[in-house]
Amino acid sequence: MKEPVRPFLTIAEAGRLIAAKKLSPVELTRALLKRIEVVDPKISAFLLVTNQRAMTAARAAEKAVMAGQKGRLLGIPLAYKDIFETAGVRTTAHSRILLDNVPKQDAETVRRLHAAGAVMLGKLATHEFAIGGPATDLPWPPARNPWDTRRFTGGSSSGSGAAVAAGLALGALGSDTGGSIRLPAAYCGIAGFKPTPGLVSRRGVIPLAPSLDTAGPMAWTAQDCAILLDVLAGHDPADPASVAVPLPGYAKAIEAPLKGMRVGVLRRFYEHDVPATPEMLKMMAQAAATLKALGCRVEEAVLPPVQDFNAVGRIIISAEAYALHEATLHARLSEYSRVFRIRVLAGGLIRAADYITAQRRRSELIAAAGTVFGKFDVLISAPTAGAAPLLAEQRPDEGFAQPFLTTVANVAALPSLVVCGGFTATGLPLGLEIMGPAWGDAAVLRVGHQFEVAAGLRGRRPEV
Amino acid sequence: MATPPATQTPSMTPAEMQILVSRTGLVLNPGQVADLVLAWRQIAGLIGAMPRGRPMGDDMALSFRLAPPAPPPAAPKRVAKPKPKAAAKPKAAAKRVPLRRAAPRR
Repeated sequence: MKEPVRPFLTIAEAGRLIAAKKLSPVELTRALLKRIEVVDPKISAFLLVTNQRAMTAARAAEKAVMAGQKGRLLGIPLAYKDIFETAGVRTTAHSRILLDNVPKQDAETVRRLHAAGAVMLGKLATHEFAIGGPATDLPWPPARNPWDTRRFTGGSSSGSGAAVAAGLALGALGSDTGGSIRLPAAYCGIAGFKPTPGLVSRRGVIPLAPSLDTAGPMAWTAQDCAILLDVLAGHDPADPASVAVPLPGYAKAIEAPLKGMRVGVLRRFYEHDVPATPEMLKMMAQAAATLKALGCRVEEAVLPPVQDFNAVGRIIISAEAYALHEATLHARLSEYSRVFRIRVLAGGLIRAADYITAQRRRSELIAAAGTVFGKFDVLISAPTAGAAPLLAEQRPDEGFAQPFLTTVANVAALPSLVVCGGFTATGLPLGLEIMGPAWGDAAVLRVGHQFEVAAGLRGRRPEV
Repeated sequence: MATPPATQTPSMTPAEMQILVSRTGLVLNPGQVADLVLAWRQIAGLIGAMPRGRPMGDDMALSFRLAPPAPPPAAPKRVAKPKPKAAAKPKAAAKRVPLRRAAPRR
């Protein structure tokens, strides 16, 4: 274990160095805990830092490495959005409601990561119960964007986006019901992957809207997401939505070149439905050109308007979230944040007929997306209209008034990845979204990885 | 795919809102009611925007289940050369099951 710890390592780099016994998991973990101590007060990504547990796990990983054990996550320090249950470690969902909640069992995703030798650094900020944020009337402040701390991280996996971008953790777990992995990935300039529903277990992940909830990895690169997915993916009978599918080996699958791949550009989404900024439009044109240069056949693709997906998503999320929280809302209404109340209480007024209409419309939208994938292998779009807005400009009714581009993949049950596609003139990251057909997770990650390598944007980090 | 037309959700009067809130069993202060009115207007707009009028028999299950991905195409099978028949082995003698000794009486 010879090399000094270099800041901003990726999971792939750190894994190689650890396997070669050139990097000590103990030294890596110690360096990150020190960095969290210095940087986190500026960005509030962590709700809880588990110093002792992290050092114990790192020592165990180091011992395993020295004994010849192999594994790409062995000794890799990660952190989890605070809706993933962790045995013996407080899991709050960033809410007063769960201030004293100490689960007895790890979420299946956490269990898999720990079994693979990953080191937990702590629990990360989220919007309250993955929907109520950013909020200033909670026990912890909202996370801030490391590229400009006056700006929003995106949510709800806000701490995950901020921690990975600031180099406080090599990877993180996030959850995504309407864009909660991919929005922070876009605004924080990292990679965030929402898998096909059923690929990654949600057991032990505090639900928001079970018919749309997914859990997935967030990291600096698509390659790191693939490495994490290799451990996270797999059938779990304890999650009723989990599906037993053959797993291709994602980290290996992404290495195949893109020549001949059919890429559909959902231009109308960001030119008309949710009009993007000129910088975002330019970035999308450049991204399409990069994919063409990689040998892809790039043509325009058309899906129903974003507003159709968003209406269905918002109605389902509001109704299901209200149903899950109803009893607690009756007993402890004032303990929730105002943002949570605004986004969830109206769900109690939705008629069953309207909820069922939303579910029926969802089936139509899934079918419409399926038709498009007859012509294309992947689709690309802008995940947001532009770069991260100011935190102070965030509205509590966000997502209702202005549709989220990312909700399309949740409603249509598609795997979707956001990678950094470029930067604004002021140095803020802009995201690129890549969607694939159901179970086309490997193809999506492959396009993201090859794009990142060709675009050469991963060397730039925030100065926080 | 032809999209059936959306229907308009009628706007809600304060009295109607009060009835709905009372049905939920929630006790809200005036500020919370004002927030709810704001949020409900947005939701009502989304509900009104959803197309309806689909045939009743269409999608009766109201749910979907993704089929697992198709298995990769099977590689063409090699035609195995017939192995020369080995000389028939003599049948193994039937295994002898040792008789259990009766436990000594105590």
